Amino acid sequence: MKIQEAMSIYEKLDILSDAAKYDVACTSSGIDRKGDGKHMGNTVAKGICHSFSADGRCISLLKILFTNECVFDCKYCINRCSNDVPRASFTPEEVCTLTMEFYRRNYIEGLFLSSGILHNPVYTMELLYQTLYKLRNECQFQGYIHVKAIPGAPQELIDRTGLLADRMSINLELPTSESLKKLAPHKSRRTILTPMRQIQNRMEQNRQELMVYRQAPRFVPAGQSTQMIIGATPENDFEIVSVAESLYQKFQLKRVFYSAFVQVNEDSELPALPGGPPLLREHRLYQADWLMRFYGFQASELLSAKRPNFNVFLDPKCDWALSHLEQFPVEVTRAPYQTLLRVPGIGVKSAQRIVKARRYGALSFGDLKKMGVVLKRALYFITCGGRMMYPVKIEEDYIMRNLLSVKERLPFDLEHYHQLNLFDDCGVAR
Amino acid sequence: MGEKTIFLCEDSTDGIFTGVYDAWASRLGHGNVKLALKEDMNYELFARYLEVEPDGEKAGKVADSLRRKLGDEDYYHIYCAALSRSREKADYIYRTVAAGLSGGRQGAIMQNLQNPAVCRVFELSRTTGNEAHRYFQFLRFRELESGVLFSEIRPENHILPLIGEHFSDRFPCEHFLIYDRTHRMFLAHEAYKQWVLVVGEEPDWEKAGKVSEKEREIEQLWKGFCRSIAIEERKNLNLQRQFLPMKFREFMTEMR
Repeated sequence: MKIQEAMSIYEKLDILSDAAKYDVACTSSGIDRKGDGKHMGNTVAKGICHSFSADGRCISLLKILFTNECVFDCKYCINRCSNDVPRASFTPEEVCTLTMEFYRRNYIEGLFLSSGILHNPVYTMELLYQTLYKLRNECQFQGYIHVKAIPGAPQELIDRTGLLADRMSINLELPTSESLKKLAPHKSRRTILTPMRQIQNRMEQNRQELMVYRQAPRFVPAGQSTQMIIGATPENDFEIVSVAESLYQKFQLKRVFYSAFVQVNEDSELPALPGGPPLLREHRLYQADWLMRFYGFQASELLSAKRPNFNVFLDPKCDWALSHLEQFPVEVTRAPYQTLLRVPGIGVKSAQRIVKARRYGALSFGDLKKMGVVLKRALYFITCGGRMMYPVKIEEDYIMRNLLSVKERLPFDLEHYHQLNLFDDCGVAR
Repeated sequence: MGEKTIFLCEDSTDGIFTGVYDAWASRLGHGNVKLALKEDMNYELFARYLEVEPDGEKAGKVADSLRRKLGDEDYYHIYCAALSRSREKADYIYRTVAAGLSGGRQGAIMQNLQNPAVCRVFELSRTTGNEAHRYFQFLRFRELESGVLFSEIRPENHILPLIGEHFSDRFPCEHFLIYDRTHRMFLAHEAYKQWVLVVGEEPDWEKAGKVSEKEREIEQLWKGFCRSIAIEERKNLNLQRQFLPMKFREFMTEMR
């Protein structure tokens, strides 16, 4: 369908934001950049979410595709070339206008620009570059820009684009190369990992340049990220977190995002998911992701080839603690920071507060509570001043029963979630 | 034990810091003084009341020495607590300052969360700071006919001083006004100038009602975007409400 000419910007935005919504990465974090005092925009390292859509996901950036025309035929994607959906393309000017007008009303932190493959990867990447160039140099936009690197685009073009963007990402799409071959015939592990490596190397080189000359232009200062679709292919959780771990270690990614598979196409290669997208699984993977990034856990500690999937009923940290009871209880007034972090109910902030506050004197359970420790979880694993909060047994079954009776706060309604899984009856009280 | 002296401060950072100064300078001893806010004070028996006249110079001295002796971070916590809506904040601040400046260990007082007053100041600061951050997120401007960006908010704490820096750094080239309906105050920013607080003036509601020609179109585009970006299969209004509570939605373009 080619109806571009007659289309209003409203219709285009409707089509091209709808087509971009399955991309997860909407964060605007990773870089602090003060305004220059003349032109519009700054960035905040923590990132700012400006709104939340009806699915509870954050809206931080104007997340759009440049075009949803695509020559690829990835089976999971709504924009695959064999689908008959309305197609549209923005012009660079339209993207600039939308970004600037939304930004100055404080609707957004910046732009997230992705695209289908129009004609070929080189042509598409060139269009993205042109758009960013205009936005940075003609509109003098200083806010956040996250841009997709198109697999198969030449390195020189990605280099130029990276100097204009804050974050770049290339989607891994699926955890293993076999799955990729099956569902995304036009993509391969190589065309995805090659540019990822290039960006990593260029960032390293840029660090050297900045050491020599502080004013040197910065290349992708907020780092690169990627995302994987969860539940479209048969990989288990252990494989997925292992892939994520190696991406963090070998490619120095800032974030690996997970996207619960949403069935938008009918295809014999795709699984049927009568229970809707695997949200609980996605949630557990994110919890594990946090444990790996901020709590010093390794993938192999959380799961193993023998126990390849996360516990549905317990979060990964409680699960880990229960199978390592020999390391507990921990004395909060003396335990090192890294040990505190491993206690269920103690987070990064509360662990930091404990370490600082205990220099001033004794701590009580009441103090811990005020510092943000979730005692109903932590009480089985800690002593404070040599005493436990209540006389409890350090015994797996007993603690498990008690932890399960404390309702875990999930981002969605578990009952609803279970009801939908007609054939996956777990039959355990929440 | 002697009679307690209660210093009545005005509800402003200057007022509270002047109170801290006067109470400290009175040399009555920390145990014998108390700070309270002037308005709706419940008067105690057997106490002497002293009105504190806000004094920029005294307040400045307190702010300077807090910054110097406790460090910027602790000063910022105390400053945020002074902007909170709590009625007891003045005394908590005094106790925290007293703890911070006395004793062998100066500085980093905000880490001493076992001290009840410090803990309260920390909580107040966190609440106020969090609310300010909510307005980095959810404040919305509309463009008036004159090209000025106008925004209304209804915060619980007095957060205007905390958000001025962020917005004027972000939009140096814009004229903008933020009106705080709770405290009836303005934050006004003229392009390329320093932002200022304007107290005791109502906005010109007639002008504020007339938006520019483009405004409606941009609003429609934004509303459409917020609709189409949601994934139907993941619809979760509870989660949306958790992150974006109802009280912030009153003036949000996409929620109207």
